[in-house]
Amino acid sequence: MNSRVSNRMLAAFATPGAALIGLFFLLPVGAVLSGAFAEDGGAFARLAADPVFWNGLRGTLILGTAAPLFSLVVGVGVALALARFKPGLRTATLIAISLPLTFSGLIVAYGFILLLGRAGFVTLLLAKAGFDPSVVGAFIYSPLGLGLAYSYYLIPRVVLIVLPAIGNFDRAQLSAARSLGAGRFGAFIDVMLPQIMPSLVAAFCLTAAVAIGAYGTALALVGTQVNILPLVLYSKISETGSDFPAAAAASLVLVAICVAVIAVGEAFGSRRRSGR
Amino acid sequence: MSLTYDNVSFIYPGSTAGVFDIALDIARGELVAVIGASGSGKSTILKLLAGFMQPDAGRILVEGQDVGPLAPEDRRLGVVFQNYALFPHMRLWENITYPLKVRGIRRAERRARAQEMLARVGMEGRGDDWPTAISGGQQQRVALARALIFEPRGLLLDEPLSALDAGLRTSMRDEIRRVQRAAGIATLLVTHDQEEALSIADRIVVMHDGRIIQTGTPQELYETPVNAQVAAFVGQSNLWPGTVEQTGRVRTPIGTLACPTEGYAPGAAVTVLVRPERILPAEPEQPPRVNDFRGTVVADRYLGPVRRIDLSVDGGLIRLETHARGAVGRVSIPAEAVRLLPGADAAGTRS
Repeated sequence: MNSRVSNRMLAAFATPGAALIGLFFLLPVGAVLSGAFAEDGGAFARLAADPVFWNGLRGTLILGTAAPLFSLVVGVGVALALARFKPGLRTATLIAISLPLTFSGLIVAYGFILLLGRAGFVTLLLAKAGFDPSVVGAFIYSPLGLGLAYSYYLIPRVVLIVLPAIGNFDRAQLSAARSLGAGRFGAFIDVMLPQIMPSLVAAFCLTAAVAIGAYGTALALVGTQVNILPLVLYSKISETGSDFPAAAAASLVLVAICVAVIAVGEAFGSRRRSGR
Repeated sequence: MSLTYDNVSFIYPGSTAGVFDIALDIARGELVAVIGASGSGKSTILKLLAGFMQPDAGRILVEGQDVGPLAPEDRRLGVVFQNYALFPHMRLWENITYPLKVRGIRRAERRARAQEMLARVGMEGRGDDWPTAISGGQQQRVALARALIFEPRGLLLDEPLSALDAGLRTSMRDEIRRVQRAAGIATLLVTHDQEEALSIADRIVVMHDGRIIQTGTPQELYETPVNAQVAAFVGQSNLWPGTVEQTGRVRTPIGTLACPTEGYAPGAAVTVLVRPERILPAEPEQPPRVNDFRGTVVADRYLGPVRRIDLSVDGGLIRLETHARGAVGRVSIPAEAVRLLPGADAAGTRS
């Protein structure tokens, strides 16, 4: 049998994938691009003049920084603990930790409402202990609560990204640092942190991009009460007062932020990899 | 005494393994090697001294001070780890001066001290290299420099040469000895390599099952081991179970040997030790000497300066080392080369 395949054959194999990318990626992006620039940038001008957009941008940047940071702190702690587990237990725990990744944002939101909403299980339990359910129940609908819900599926991502770096770290270096005079904390800061930093940056950037782009959880939890860019976008294409060119422009801004964050992560990672 | 174990015991939680009643003094400038099979507890006693583990009983003293309550960073002991544990994100000079950095010494002074230290270990001008760019032997030197730069009260070496290839290992032994002598520092060296211990140490501690079974100079251990385990672990040996027949005669599986039997009554069970280099090949037609054996060669290892031969005789095997180049079919064991050890346990026989 001839192991060489003709170019025609290769092209035939590539066609379904190419069609998929064309139809569901290039075409929509092209449509968004042309929509955004249709009125000679008028859509951007309208957006720039809209205080709702600026508020949304601010909200997105705050949420897109705070939730990943919180997730990073928790996730690194979890990964540090996991790295010391026996392999079998570690695998089992990792499976449990990865479970939230399989849920859609809507389900996560629903789960949090059942747990912490105004009639949620924890809210009612705390009410018995004397905590005002109207205060406790409102938390999950606040920007902070939204950040917590986001962390639910950001933390597993952090754990999965940083665990290999932490697992491969030679712990004898920490012992060495301590014998040389560094305290427990100093040894971590001087010796371990710089070496796992690339994976921390990567985890932060990836989770930030996820947090910035996510909208299902936000929509289900807070409707459009909390001002973030994906929800601004949503309001511009929902029935009342739809403005497709402005929505296209807003989504370009959103995509640009996500791309920039990922690019920063990649740049940092490759600078570290390609020699210092 | 500079480093002292005062009846130290430690048991690993949830097991019966550990170290028991360790008593050891290491004087300033002295190099003591701890040898033993894996699991004998030799690394444990190093970790206890370094402060990575806490003894369950007994005290550990450094220059007379009980270091029990002190964290590793407060003990001022330089440790060189098996894989050196250099910090890959720091240049060599930063690695070496890390102990000075945590003590708040300024960068300019650190750079100068690093150069001085690099020169001491024969690595002048390499301060700006990265640890990943140097050889194993050089990493070893850097690790040694880093462990000594803060003038520690003791130096702890954990299998420092095991990651090096054989040729380099020999020269690094001398290097470690030279640097250690120059620093005049009490040193504990843990190794599984008895040859390394013999060649480098002032004194050797042999451990077995968490206990010290003998402490002595290399020569004492080699010439007068206290039992078959020490004899088997230190150097090459022939070990045969035996029974004292009468004064001056011991019965063994390979035959009756004429040898001094002071200290053992007739009927006593003993282990007979003969070092391979003490056994003499004999010419076939030579008149028989004392303890004369004939056999066939089953292994003949040419090691350059010597040949290491296994001679199969009735009832067992005789291992010998000889400079002789010709055929070997007959040997004699001089009576004074035979040493009797207590007990008939020759299970530890090693080739």
